[in-house]
Amino acid sequence: MSLAPLGISLERVVKRFGPEIALLDIDLEIPQGSYVAVMGPNGAGKTTLLKVIAGLARPTSGHVSLAGVRLSDAGPGLRALVGFLGHESMLYPDLTGLENLMFHARLHRLAEPRKAALETAGLLEVETDLSRPVGSLSRGMRQRVAIARAVIHQPRVLLMDEPYTGLDEHAAASLASLLQRLHTPERTVVVTIHEISRALAGPERIVALAGGRIAMDVTTFEEHERISGEYLSLLARGGER
Amino acid sequence: MLDWIGPAMVIAAKDLRLEMRTKSILSSVGLFALLVVVVASFSFPATGAGKNGVAAGLLWMSFLFSSLLGMGRSFSLEDEEACIEGLMASPAPRESIYLGKLLANLLFIGAVEAVVLPAFLILFQLEPGRGIPLLALTAFLGTLGIVALGTLFSAMAVKTRTREAILPLLVMPLCVPIVIAAVKATETALGGAALSASASWLYLLAGFDALLVTVGLAAFPYVLDE
Amino acid sequence: MSSRVDEATAGAGDGRDVGRQTATRWRRRALGFGTLVGLGVLVWAAFAYAPQDIKQGPSQRIFYIHVPSAWIAFLAFAVVFGASIAFLATRNHRWDQVAVSSAEIGTVFTTAVLVTGPLWARPVWGVYWSWDPRLTSVLVLWLIYLSYLALRGYVVEPDRRARFSAVLGIVGFLDVPIVYLSVRWWRALHPNYVVLARGGPQMPGAMLATLMIGIAAFTLLYLYLMALRLRVERLRANDLEERP
Repeated sequence: MSLAPLGISLERVVKRFGPEIALLDIDLEIPQGSYVAVMGPNGAGKTTLLKVIAGLARPTSGHVSLAGVRLSDAGPGLRALVGFLGHESMLYPDLTGLENLMFHARLHRLAEPRKAALETAGLLEVETDLSRPVGSLSRGMRQRVAIARAVIHQPRVLLMDEPYTGLDEHAAASLASLLQRLHTPERTVVVTIHEISRALAGPERIVALAGGRIAMDVTTFEEHERISGEYLSLLARGGER
Repeated sequence: MLDWIGPAMVIAAKDLRLEMRTKSILSSVGLFALLVVVVASFSFPATGAGKNGVAAGLLWMSFLFSSLLGMGRSFSLEDEEACIEGLMASPAPRESIYLGKLLANLLFIGAVEAVVLPAFLILFQLEPGRGIPLLALTAFLGTLGIVALGTLFSAMAVKTRTREAILPLLVMPLCVPIVIAAVKATETALGGAALSASASWLYLLAGFDALLVTVGLAAFPYVLDE
Repeated sequence: MSSRVDEATAGAGDGRDVGRQTATRWRRRALGFGTLVGLGVLVWAAFAYAPQDIKQGPSQRIFYIHVPSAWIAFLAFAVVFGASIAFLATRNHRWDQVAVSSAEIGTVFTTAVLVTGPLWARPVWGVYWSWDPRLTSVLVLWLIYLSYLALRGYVVEPDRRARFSAVLGIVGFLDVPIVYLSVRWWRALHPNYVVLARGGPQMPGAMLATLMIGIAAFTLLYLYLMALRLRVERLRANDLEERP
């Protein structure tokens, strides 16, 4: 079974929350297999961008497409291709890690929910803590279970909103190498990152937003110092509307 | 439409598992329902000629208020940790989320009613005898309507400034037909009447329930999608 | 005072805008004038033209305000229903503006029904309130209107507020006929309830005509109030948009 190219495409996307403009005139193409860092000052629209791609927010105007299919035309099944991790864990604190994972496996109609849960937990190195209620886990552990939830159905697009926030160096390095492993030619990874050094150390492309618009879109193979400088001056300009 | 059922069952099963673990809804709702029945019986002594009518009214006040409490709680659990976004990001259709929560709510409140109803009959010294089928059917149909409304509006309520507190304001005016029909049918049932005695009220309840569930299914996606 | 505000907004647009706003302003003034005339005719008809009711006496005349108010109360809610559906279909906030305007005005007219009803009932039947099915349905309608306005007050974000109100508007409107049905059946079980008759089995022609004048005048009043309220709503929306 061949897998069709699964690119993400945003055409003239605008997202407003009442009078507040979160995204303005976003034209973005992310080919399959990309590893993209989305950056920008607070309030620039990074979370909204990811939510719009995940189908959690409808654009006010413009279109979001996955594999050439517009989300507005597609049924709910298209969401099976996407894994989303937001600021909050999306885990029920009173259920165990295993129960949470198996719940999501069943939502995704996986053939063997228990097996998938255990395997994914193993990948995230949390298999020993699966029988404890998620609310009793440490922040780092809980985040790993949350990531497991986001990837349990082997999504071909992985969206992660500020996964590095609040992690210590060791945990952050661990996460970075995990993302590197998850990034394959079949899987597109889009991550919101705050630290420019982190963004230059794994992702192949940086898209920076400011005031809801795309202010910077560069590949990271070379010229790290120039990119760094450009991003820092973007931040210094305030980027606020 | 049939593919709504699978994910709805998964979601309802999750709610059941969660409730078995914490018993937060059953205990608070159950106790509340019982308290309303007992305290109200001090305020409105059900004796004499109009006894069945007063008792029926008290019973439904208890069911209504405790249902609202339970449904508010049920959705606030989804709001913690943005779990509702986890549901929305999955391939489960929005309608399944509505059906799943509705089913779970119905089961919880049904379980509470199954305990409160016998207690109520004993406290008020009522013996419906042959009216029991009518009593049970009315309880089911009335609760279904309240839950259909409450599930839809509790999804809204968690996103407002006063959260669950606004749920009674939204649901109570809308459930007037349910209360009227359910109380009347219950009153008849308490007098020992068979199903046919309240046929028109039952038809009203069933028809209204069908309308509410249909509208709930149609409107729920608009409530969830930002 | 209104012309000053008009001039302020007129200055913001180009020549075409000014022309359009002037035309709107004149339509509004015409509507206001028509309303005034209609209400004037109604007052004359209600007190001078329509005959006095034999059984109920002069207090029956309040009926000429009571019934038209009820008509508008339901018309306004139907407009809320239609605008709510239109909003959910198009996501155009103009429809939300129509919905909230109609809801506010509808609430006022519904209150008028609930005030004039008991005022009419008391001298004629001796009680202020008798759980008459029609009046009771209006009471529930009033409560639904109030819960609509309460919901709007408790949701901060405009998109969400519009969406939630629209759902409530739709469910509420579908609910009202069922409320009426259930209250009617409920009251039918108590045969000694008091009926607020509309003036007897056959209304004399003059009474009917006055009633029609009342309905027409109140409809004009509704449209005029809608025009005023919508203008406020649009100014408010424009104001928010222009803020950086």
